[in-house]
Amino acid sequence: MRFRGFGGFAASTLVAGAILWSFMTTDVEFSRLLSAGPRIAEFLGRMFPPDPTVMREIMKGGAETLRIAILGSLGAVVLSAPLGILASETMVSPPLYRTVRTLLAFIRAIPLILVAMLMVGAVGLGPLPGIIAVAFHATGMLAKFYAEAIDGVSRAPIAALESAGAGPLARLRHAIWPQMAPVIARDTIFRFELNLRESLILGIVGAGGIGFYIQTYVRSFQYDKAASVTLAVIVMVVAIEAINVALRRRFA
Amino acid sequence: MSPAVQIDDLSFAHPGSDLPALERISLLVPTGESVALLGPSGAGKTTLLALLDGRLRGWQGRTSVLGASLDPDRPPLRARRPDTGFVFQEFALVERSTVLRNVLNGRLGRMSPLRALMGSSTSHDLETALAALADCGIADLAERRVDSLSGGQRQRVAIARCLAQEPRLILADEPVSSLDPARAAEILTLLTGAARARGATAMFSSHQPDLARRFAQRIVGISGGRVVFDVPTSDLSEEATANLYRDTERMPGVGLRAVS
Repeated sequence: MRFRGFGGFAASTLVAGAILWSFMTTDVEFSRLLSAGPRIAEFLGRMFPPDPTVMREIMKGGAETLRIAILGSLGAVVLSAPLGILASETMVSPPLYRTVRTLLAFIRAIPLILVAMLMVGAVGLGPLPGIIAVAFHATGMLAKFYAEAIDGVSRAPIAALESAGAGPLARLRHAIWPQMAPVIARDTIFRFELNLRESLILGIVGAGGIGFYIQTYVRSFQYDKAASVTLAVIVMVVAIEAINVALRRRFA
Repeated sequence: MSPAVQIDDLSFAHPGSDLPALERISLLVPTGESVALLGPSGAGKTTLLALLDGRLRGWQGRTSVLGASLDPDRPPLRARRPDTGFVFQEFALVERSTVLRNVLNGRLGRMSPLRALMGSSTSHDLETALAALADCGIADLAERRVDSLSGGQRQRVAIARCLAQEPRLILADEPVSSLDPARAAEILTLLTGAARARGATAMFSSHQPDLARRFAQRIVGISGGRVVFDVPTSDLSEEATANLYRDTERMPGVGLRAVS
C-alpha cells in the first residue's frame, strides 16, 4: 500500500512537472491568444463563400488521390504477402519472424508524410512518390495483419482433413483458405480506407493528389478555393467511412 | 477375415517425454464390433486412437488396421486414410464454412486430386454427403454456417463428415464429453447405429462407465497407458470400473503416468 502511495505521488509530480516545463519552454503568450479570435474570424470570412469554380480541380485531384491509394494499396498487398508469411509464428523460425516483426515495427513508426517527402526527393514531384510512400508505409501494418491471419488459423480442421485423406493442396483450399480469406479481405479493406484517407494530404509535400490544390490555394491566399477543396476532402472521408462500414459488416 | 484392429506389444512416448503414454498394449478388435475405451483423463485413450488413425510417429510394436500394418516411421498411404474415420473431441470443423461444405470435406480423400482441389464434387459425393446429413438428423442445417450451430449440432456435423468418408473403421475421441446426458445418449445411439448399419467397426473413448456399458459390446479399461481389463460388456464388474478410477482419486492432478 505504501509503495502504491509513493508511486501515485511520483506519477503526479512527474505529470505536473512536465506541464510546467512545457509552459516554460514555449512562447505561450496571452496577448497572441487574444488576437487570434479576430484573425480566425477574418480567415474564415475569406473562405466564405467557397468558390465552386474549382470543381474541375477537385475532380482531377480526387481521381489522382484515388489512384495513389489503389496503386499504393496494391503495392502494399504484394509486399505484405511474403512479409506476412515471414512474420508468422507458425510458418518460420523465431529468429526470422522476430527480425521481420521488428522491421515492420520500424516501418510503422515512420510517419507517411515523412516517407512521402523522402520519396519526392528521390523520384521527383507527382503521384509516383505518393504511391511508393503509401505502399511502403502501409506494408508495416498490413504484413503484421497478414501474419496474424495466418497464425489465427485453427490447426484442428487441417488435421481432420488430412485424416480423411485430403492432400496438401486440398487442405490449403478447404481448411486453411476459408479461415484466412475473410480476415485478409477485412484487413485489406481497412488498410485501403486508411491509405485513401492519408493520401488526401500527400499533395501538401508534392506527392500528388487533391492535397496539392489545398496547399496551392492557401499559399496564394485564395481561401475561398481552398475552402471548396477542403469541403470536398471532408465529403470524401465521410463517404469512404460509410462504404467501409457497409463492407466490414459483410466480412464479420 | 482379418480383424479391424490388431495391436501387439505397442509402446509410445510423446516426443520430449520420458514417461510412456502407452505401454505394452495388445488388443484385438474383430470387424463389426463396437468397443469402448474406458478410463480417466490422461490415461492414453486419445493417444491410442490418434495412433490407430496413423497420426503418430516413433512408436514400438506391431499395429495393423483393416488388414494393413501401420509404419511407425511414416504416415499411412493417402489412399488408405478414408477407410479410417475419426470423430475429433473438439469437432475440428471449418467454422466459417457451411455444414454441407464441412461434410463434403469428408469426401476429399475419395475424390481425384483435381476435383478435391477445385471442390467440384460428383453427384455421388453429394448424395453420400446428403445421406450422412440425413442419418445425423441435420439435413435442414446443410446451408447453415458451422459457427452459428450449438455444440450438439456441431457434434452431428463432425459425425456426418466422418460417415461421408465411408469408413470401415470409425474412431471417436470422447464424442460426448461436452454434452448433457440425454444428448450424449442420442449421439452415441447415432454413432454406433450408423456404424452397425454400415457393417463398420466402431471404437470410442469415454470416461463415463454407464455410457460405455450401454453402447459398446466390449469394454477396454485403460489406465496409465496400460490395458487394465478387456472384457465383454456383460462381464464388466463394478469393482473393475471402480479400480480404474481409484488411482486418479488418490493422486489428484498428478495423472496416472506418474503412478506407473
